Amino acid sequence: MTNELSAASESLAATVERAGHAVVAVHARPRFSSSGVFWRPGIVVTAQHTVRIEEEITVTLPGGAKVAADLVGADARTDVAVLRVNDTSSAPLPRASATPSPGHLALAIGRSHDSGVNATLGIVSAVSGPWRTWHGGQLDQYIRLDLTLYPGSSGGAVINTSGEAIGIATLGLSRIAGLAIPASTVDRVVDEILARGRVARGYLGVGLQPVELPDHHKGLIVLSIEPDGPGHKAGLLIGDVIVALGGAGVDDTEDVQSALDSSGPGTPIATEVLRGGVKTAMTIVTGERPGRS
Amino acid sequence: MRALGEISERLRRSTAQVSTRSGKAGGSGIVWSSDGLILTNAHVARALASVTLWDGRVFDATVVARDTRRDLASLRIAATGLEAARAGDSSSLRAGELVIAAGNPMGFIGALSTGVVHSVGPVAELGGESWIRTDVRLAPGNSGGPLANARGEVVGINTAILNRLGVALPVSRAHEFLLHGPRPSLGVTLRPLPFGLMILELEADGAAAAASLRSRDVLLHSLDELNRSLDGVREVVRLRFVRGGSDRVREVAVRLRSRAEAA
Repeated sequence: MTNELSAASESLAATVERAGHAVVAVHARPRFSSSGVFWRPGIVVTAQHTVRIEEEITVTLPGGAKVAADLVGADARTDVAVLRVNDTSSAPLPRASATPSPGHLALAIGRSHDSGVNATLGIVSAVSGPWRTWHGGQLDQYIRLDLTLYPGSSGGAVINTSGEAIGIATLGLSRIAGLAIPASTVDRVVDEILARGRVARGYLGVGLQPVELPDHHKGLIVLSIEPDGPGHKAGLLIGDVIVALGGAGVDDTEDVQSALDSSGPGTPIATEVLRGGVKTAMTIVTGERPGRS
Repeated sequence: MRALGEISERLRRSTAQVSTRSGKAGGSGIVWSSDGLILTNAHVARALASVTLWDGRVFDATVVARDTRRDLASLRIAATGLEAARAGDSSSLRAGELVIAAGNPMGFIGALSTGVVHSVGPVAELGGESWIRTDVRLAPGNSGGPLANARGEVVGINTAILNRLGVALPVSRAHEFLLHGPRPSLGVTLRPLPFGLMILELEADGAAAAASLRSRDVLLHSLDELNRSLDGVREVVRLRFVRGGSDRVREVAVRLRSRAEAA
């Protein structure tokens, strides 16, 4: 007996099976494994918070074989970790061409060594623009999921019903819901980690404090300057008030982080400062934030 | 979808409420044959009194067979012309398939919930056998009730909730049970610990109770190991265990009832 429901069921199961060919189990913490996704040939992406060891990480491939994986790098701010796996037979997951809207069906696809591919179904419950994580990273979109994620689902693929990746599933970035780390954000982080082994963030080398200006605008007053830091080299002085970075006004330190996130170290940033009440333009070439990468 | 309504209604009519002697709803059951055979979990059929059908009729039930290891029990009620469930094929289930659970969670009679198959395979906590895990929201009271596929065929028996996932026995194990009867058992409820299996409860007339094992004793065996020795040819199984937090490992010989007697 066939009906609409069993046709829908068959098509969901087929989608899961197809996507499952790009999804692995990641063994990088005690007790629960997590999941990972072939994002590029030989490159697996998983959720950084599920990676608790740096050596002797293994992954269970879609075929069931358990192989060694090297941690290329990780970015706690966006919860992305990149592993290199010696396997070229698994094709990377195709990316969704369009941003999902609230209400679209979504599946979280994971894998465990014992039971193979696994899936949960739900909807995308909210989508908004760029969002800063509580670890200070920037996601291109905030994609909240109304589907059940389990400890082992983090790092797995969030796909639409066509089997295209919306992003990487994580329980590590929100206390109230599972999120998808958007595919475009994952791409950006993977690029940086493959190029440098980590995600370097731009750095100005100044201490800033938000201030209200007489014209009711806001800015950030320079309270300290690191000797020979990027700000110092560009000629910033203590007492300067930064009002714009990269052409966008800055009201608080959050805006500065956003301006720096979109530009890696060594990028010249057009800067507007008030010095003695006079608007002055200068260019700061960002450095790299020391320590804690 | 019209299909979902029809399938759900049929499934609801093949789902029974299984109540315990104290009058509380113990769980759910599946109407397995039109002449009154009801299938449920062994842990639901512990102190059994009655079975309530979808139309409100209540019947006294007798336990035909109970298999604590498979967590299955068959009951008989004196009724005919029932709407029996149709059994499906649990071996061909795939992750992502739509499933429907019917049962009596927390006293709601004939409640339905839907979801997808999360995975099919062994569950670390439950030994080496295959289980169906689903993202269907289950609650106590769903135990023993049917898990059906998109065609409305019963593919599993909802048995537990583990790490928020519903865990169902594949219907193939119910066929085995109904065909061959219960497997030899210790007559205990076990909780897996990192180093063994703790006895939570003993059945008064069970093999473990007869061998003087007590509740809170910890058997120093894995579930798979235990299952292998229970299914072996020997009638006497030697078990190592610790008692009362002591380091001393004791040993006990448990005499099992033979397969023929048990069936």
